[in-house]
Amino acid sequence: MDMLLQILFSGIALGMIYAVIAFGYQLTFATSGTLNFGQGEALAIGALIGLSVVDRIGNYWLTIPVVLLAGAIYGIGVERLGVRPALKAKSEGWIMATIALGIIMKNIAENIWGRDDLKFPSPVSEAPLHLFGASVLPMEIIVIVGALALMLAVELFNRKSIYGKAIAATAADREAAGLMGINTGQVITFSYALSCAAAAFAGILIAPLTLTGASMGAALGLKAFAVAIIGGLTSGLGVIIGGLILGLAETFTGFYLSTGYKDVPGLVLLLLVLAFKPAGLFGKTAIKKV
Amino acid sequence: MKITRLVFSGLLLLGLALFPLLLPNPYYIHLLVVIGIYAILLFGLDIVVGYTGEISLGHAGLFGIGAYTAGIVFTTVGAPFWLALPAAIAVTAAFGAVLAMPALRVTGPYLAMVTLAFGTIVQILINEMDFLTRGPQGLQVLKPMLLEHRMTVVDFYYFTLASVLLALLVVHHTLKSYIGRSFEALRGSPVACDCMGVSVYRSKVLAFVMSAGFAGLAGGLYAFSEEYIAPSSFNFELAILFLLAVTLGGRKTRSGSVLGAAIVVLLPNLLSDIDLFRQLTVLIACLVAIGAGYAVLRTRTTLRQLTVPLVALAVFVIFAFTLEDIAEHRLSIFGLLILGVVYYLPDGIVGYLRALVKRFRPQWVPAHETIAEHGDAANVWSAPSCGAGGEPLLEASGIVMQFGGLKALNEVDLQVAAGRIHGLIGPNGSGKSTMMNVLTGIYTPTQGDISFAGQSIGGCTSSHIALRGVARTFQNVQLFGEMTAIENVMVGLTHTYELTLIDVVLRTGRYRRQEHEARVSAANLLDFVGLGDMHNEEARHLPYGKQRLLEIARALALSPSLLLLDEPAAGIPPADLPELTAMIRKIREHGIAVVLIEHHMDLVMGVCDRISVLDFGQKIAEGAAGEIQSDPRVIAAYLGGEATAQPA
Amino acid sequence: MLTIDNLHAGYGCVDVLHGISFSVPKASVVCLIGSNGAGKTTTMRAISGMIKPSRGAVLLDGQDITGFDAYRICRRGLAHSPEGRRIFANLSVTDNLLLGAFPRFTGNRSKGDVQGDLEQAMELFPRLRERRQQLAGTLSGGEQQMLAMARALMLNPGMILLDEPSMGLAPILVEEVFRIIADLRQRGVTMLLVEQFAAAALSVSDYGYVLENGRISVHGPAEQLRDDPAVHAAYLGCGH
Repeated sequence: MDMLLQILFSGIALGMIYAVIAFGYQLTFATSGTLNFGQGEALAIGALIGLSVVDRIGNYWLTIPVVLLAGAIYGIGVERLGVRPALKAKSEGWIMATIALGIIMKNIAENIWGRDDLKFPSPVSEAPLHLFGASVLPMEIIVIVGALALMLAVELFNRKSIYGKAIAATAADREAAGLMGINTGQVITFSYALSCAAAAFAGILIAPLTLTGASMGAALGLKAFAVAIIGGLTSGLGVIIGGLILGLAETFTGFYLSTGYKDVPGLVLLLLVLAFKPAGLFGKTAIKKV
Repeated sequence: MKITRLVFSGLLLLGLALFPLLLPNPYYIHLLVVIGIYAILLFGLDIVVGYTGEISLGHAGLFGIGAYTAGIVFTTVGAPFWLALPAAIAVTAAFGAVLAMPALRVTGPYLAMVTLAFGTIVQILINEMDFLTRGPQGLQVLKPMLLEHRMTVVDFYYFTLASVLLALLVVHHTLKSYIGRSFEALRGSPVACDCMGVSVYRSKVLAFVMSAGFAGLAGGLYAFSEEYIAPSSFNFELAILFLLAVTLGGRKTRSGSVLGAAIVVLLPNLLSDIDLFRQLTVLIACLVAIGAGYAVLRTRTTLRQLTVPLVALAVFVIFAFTLEDIAEHRLSIFGLLILGVVYYLPDGIVGYLRALVKRFRPQWVPAHETIAEHGDAANVWSAPSCGAGGEPLLEASGIVMQFGGLKALNEVDLQVAAGRIHGLIGPNGSGKSTMMNVLTGIYTPTQGDISFAGQSIGGCTSSHIALRGVARTFQNVQLFGEMTAIENVMVGLTHTYELTLIDVVLRTGRYRRQEHEARVSAANLLDFVGLGDMHNEEARHLPYGKQRLLEIARALALSPSLLLLDEPAAGIPPADLPELTAMIRKIREHGIAVVLIEHHMDLVMGVCDRISVLDFGQKIAEGAAGEIQSDPRVIAAYLGGEATAQPA
Repeated sequence: MLTIDNLHAGYGCVDVLHGISFSVPKASVVCLIGSNGAGKTTTMRAISGMIKPSRGAVLLDGQDITGFDAYRICRRGLAHSPEGRRIFANLSVTDNLLLGAFPRFTGNRSKGDVQGDLEQAMELFPRLRERRQQLAGTLSGGEQQMLAMARALMLNPGMILLDEPSMGLAPILVEEVFRIIADLRQRGVTMLLVEQFAAAALSVSDYGYVLENGRISVHGPAEQLRDDPAVHAAYLGCGH
């Protein structure tokens, strides 16, 4: 029973990480109909830069703004170099372009931080707390709270500020948003900055729980896409439920089957959802126009 | 041209056949084998990427499945070599069918992610199922025995060469046939595909299965060529490498696949020698600079437009000369290469060369096979006339079509008599196009039933309804843009082929006869709509009005008994309207019923035997032209204001 | 206020408009009428920057705005209530209205009293006040049209383009919409109106232009056009 609770907690923490990355996919998909296939690299960059800054200044909390900024810069770069030219040409070249930018980023990260996985110092005690009889890592609680706080902050910004409403308007109808005087190109750039900042933030959240390295992001990025699909690319908070489903499925598989198989349930779920309910469990199906 | 090509191919083949004798270096021979193997895979990948227009990141996984199937069947099971390869093809093709399932529901980025997930799962499974695959430590596969001795590298080279040629034959003949046309049509417009009786479902599954089959063959050969396979060989990077190869070489060409394979196989060797890499960078930079200079001089482009690529190129050259350890930057170079190809070489090297040669010697480069059959409008009707007509053909009753809270159609009845022209008019948003989509099965009505020629077609798929004899055109032109005019019509003629895959691959007499008949009918149809001199123009390059005419020809290719025309006169210059009118009359004379949606009232009033008027999703009037023109409710619906516009 | 000179525009490489010239004087209402596919909406889209004209010029207050992006044209005070209304269905009515005033928040237009204008808009369209917290997508067609018009007014625009405000509405609502247009005209709002309902459109306009196949075929003061048999012919194809 205690074991079960413990797995539950780890699953939820992991699920929240997926939710944050998936949330980032939703942001860019809403405004531009595109998403960053190199999102996992944004996460790795966040974790690695965080690691270097923590080494320098010794404070985990102060690194967060630096990491968010780094993620945002990466996002702007991806949008300018990979997405905007393709959107202009109305081609799907952005898929290959964002993959390529991800590969380049990963390579640069390998050259700076090396190919080996590094240990990220935990900002809080690594001794487990005892909650309801289960031992829970304090960092897991930080992950859950941090992830929810980030998503909540972005949602609040989107709902309350006029700029957030401009994002929602661009998402709903890019052309009509232009007629409202909204510079939709800028909004798309901004959504990429926000999306990659979220991924980078997820990077420093998860880093103390796992190891940090240039290749830590690829699998996370792909599974977060599964979460975005399960939750629906258009449904705001579906990602939290999607993240929970996947996080729990994964930790349980890892515990009861084999850690080698832990990536499988998410990917199989992705295939199944797309084969049978492509709009996601919480998304709406669009009417096709002829 | 054809002869030059033949001579060139012959020389290339001779060179390849003699290669091991002239340069008996096992390292180079092995490189050529790998190029051949990759080429086979790329032939298959090109079916998905080039022809159906999807992105697959799962081909590294399929390649791995092929390799492991062959390896396990040969080593663990102990079956002979000649069974291992077919097993690899069959098993991989089956996985291709699995991959086709999500592909039927989603496209674009979704499908790219699905294939990526598929590839990842395959890699994980190979890694974990160590009872079968020996997991991460890999699988040892010896070369097969050949007449009492183990195959040497040279033996295997010839075997691979033969396999490539066989694969080339199969893929080339299939893609140049009606099957290839249906793949290409899928890329152009899936909706139109279904409405031409070419089932999107069947075409997509076939495309993926074929593509996977080639990946399986390539994988099987790879296992024997490398003699050792491990899960890490079939990773994401390989999938990207394949995609890069197929785009860099050039989509929709076999030579592009071979070229792409050669480049990506030689690339790592190239990148291992920094001096060679630098020389090549400078060479490419010079070529681009010369090309750019020429383009600016001929004022094809301005210096300003070229700033970004030229600066990027300069940076790349500087990068090439400052970096010390090239191995460290291998992936970055690879990524930059992809970016360069995506933005500056989207049609690949072969596509670029073709465009280049075409500029100077247009007659040398037919982008498409030139189809020279001559048509004659007099022979346009392959089926006998349907008779005088008048009896009911299509009956839609009580059709309700609801989108969310909006009733786009509300209890609409429509009867169309055989051999008559039935006009459907009404203001914007009154539900005319929705009605078309309901009749052709694109929308399933919320309520109501449709019967055609006495049988209910409610709930049938679009392709089924099309094959029953309901053809249509589209308000927003839905042509297969990258295909020529005559190819577009031939997609509509797909239903006339009665062949097996063997006929297609071997180009039997039956195949050639049916292909010739289809070409002649297509030419006849084009002549009928007045496009007799534009057979080999790409549809997207035709003027808008001609595109609409081409849609009519394509729809007639179905030999329909009912033709639905959605705004055929839009984009047609007023001077050509009488011709269009005459054409629609000729179609009726042949006994084909027509439903005509049109805003040109002269045309509607001139040709229609009967007219129905829709307004707010309801039928407000029906009758002959004269009655409609004087109906106060119709006048109100169009002019508004004066009369009370209360719909009945 | 607005001057269009020899405008050519279309989609892809196919022109729908073949050289249109007209002007809209300040504080007047001009309508464009014509059958479907004549190029009315294309004209509107080319003016507000939703598509780029291939030839010709668009002048707003004497300044050349040809080929500008839509958002820049809007920031110069030209509001466009587009065909099909294009309201933001999953935002509230109030949010839709506030977005109409977006350039006033960002400092691209003088801010003035946004809240006051919001109140005024709701006074003009009392239905919107009742439903200000609802999602715009849950409004009826007529209410959505009013929202689209109110949203355009929120810019405090120098001029409004109204594209098919009656499309898809029940006749009783069509009358309501035209009453509001007449009301706006009374207040001296400069408008360019595109309509299928020619008679009603002409009754609220000062001047009218009839489009046929991307060219202006007839034009004149609104009262004069109402009785022109050529206008009837353009719609119903009789009279030839």
